[in-house]
Amino acid sequence: MNCSRVRKWIPLYAGADLSARKARRLEMHLERCADCGREIEEFRAALDGIRAVAGRETLDWPEAEWKGLMARVKSEKPGTRQVSPLSAIPKKAWAYGFAIILLLGIAALILRSILSPPAAPLLSEIITATPAQPSRSLKTDEAPSARYLRDVHFRVRTDRTEALDRATLAAGPTPEKTTQSLMSMTLVSQETGLKVHWTFNRNFEWKEKKP
Amino acid sequence: MDEKESRLVELVLGGQTEAFEPLVTPYRKLLLTLAYRLCRNTEEAKEISQETLMRAFRYLGSFDRKRSFKNWLLQIEMNVWRSLGPRAADEGTLRELAARNTPEDPEERLTGKEVREKLLACLDGLSPREREVFLLRDIESRSVKETAEVLRISAISVRVHLSRARDKIRELVKKRFLGLMEERR
Repeated sequence: MNCSRVRKWIPLYAGADLSARKARRLEMHLERCADCGREIEEFRAALDGIRAVAGRETLDWPEAEWKGLMARVKSEKPGTRQVSPLSAIPKKAWAYGFAIILLLGIAALILRSILSPPAAPLLSEIITATPAQPSRSLKTDEAPSARYLRDVHFRVRTDRTEALDRATLAAGPTPEKTTQSLMSMTLVSQETGLKVHWTFNRNFEWKEKKP
Repeated sequence: MDEKESRLVELVLGGQTEAFEPLVTPYRKLLLTLAYRLCRNTEEAKEISQETLMRAFRYLGSFDRKRSFKNWLLQIEMNVWRSLGPRAADEGTLRELAARNTPEDPEERLTGKEVREKLLACLDGLSPREREVFLLRDIESRSVKETAEVLRISAISVRVHLSRARDKIRELVKKRFLGLMEERR
């Protein structure tokens, strides 16, 4: 250990305020460094001198002045300001309290996201996935055939449209606010162009409509 | 806080204001002396000490009985001193010092009184915080923990200021009293 490091500790060591561990290290250094030893002596001399002088120098109130002062103090309104009950709570307790509240809040948010039912399919996604088809001239007498189905359109109408994200909705056509929980399905034959439109309600009762 | 002090505090808060005097009398010398060591002016020390007692009376209701009453008074005094604005050797102080000191003759050996004044003047070289820490720890012999409690700062901060204060004091004493250092060797 070099002198420059030890000298930082000397002021505290001279007044016995250095930690035991540092004091031991400093004493080991002092065994082989007379300069640092002299410096400690200088500190002690200065401190002893000031202590001796200041210790002797005491002041006291002249009795008459003290009595006058006490009379003035007593004429004041006595201290009635009470400590707030909250101030009795240690700062550490406040910190722990806030930390617990914060953790509970985070846990509640996580649980809410886990336990809440899955959101209804986004209307806009379905709508944007089904671009409007040009109308075709239909021959209603032609029989539909599953083999020739060119396209299947799904459209879900729901009363939850208000809950949907506006930003997502902005990407697609504005959903219609119509009867709730209806699903319609349009089957179009690629070969004949025959279009069959089915509408399902909530109980899966359905209606068929041929144009 | 001891039982007697606790009872006296109760009495004062209960309206018996005459109980305030026995409560603070044990500390009247301490408060005035510490105030003098802080400002080095008798009149200012009385002013600080008086204001300390006034505030102690006014805010006695907010005193936490778990704490030391003495430390609470010292804390108020430090606050009063700071609020009045620490003045390093103002006009009044200089007048007082001039009245106490005889003109210095380099050839003449310093008298005990002069040595005392010169040593105490070394405290003027400290910053207000260093002076507070130094006086409480090295002159009033309060522990580092108590000093920290009185000044409402951390023990680490007390050690840092104490180290700086002792360093400055040693330098000043070395400059002014080379003989004192030589005698110790």
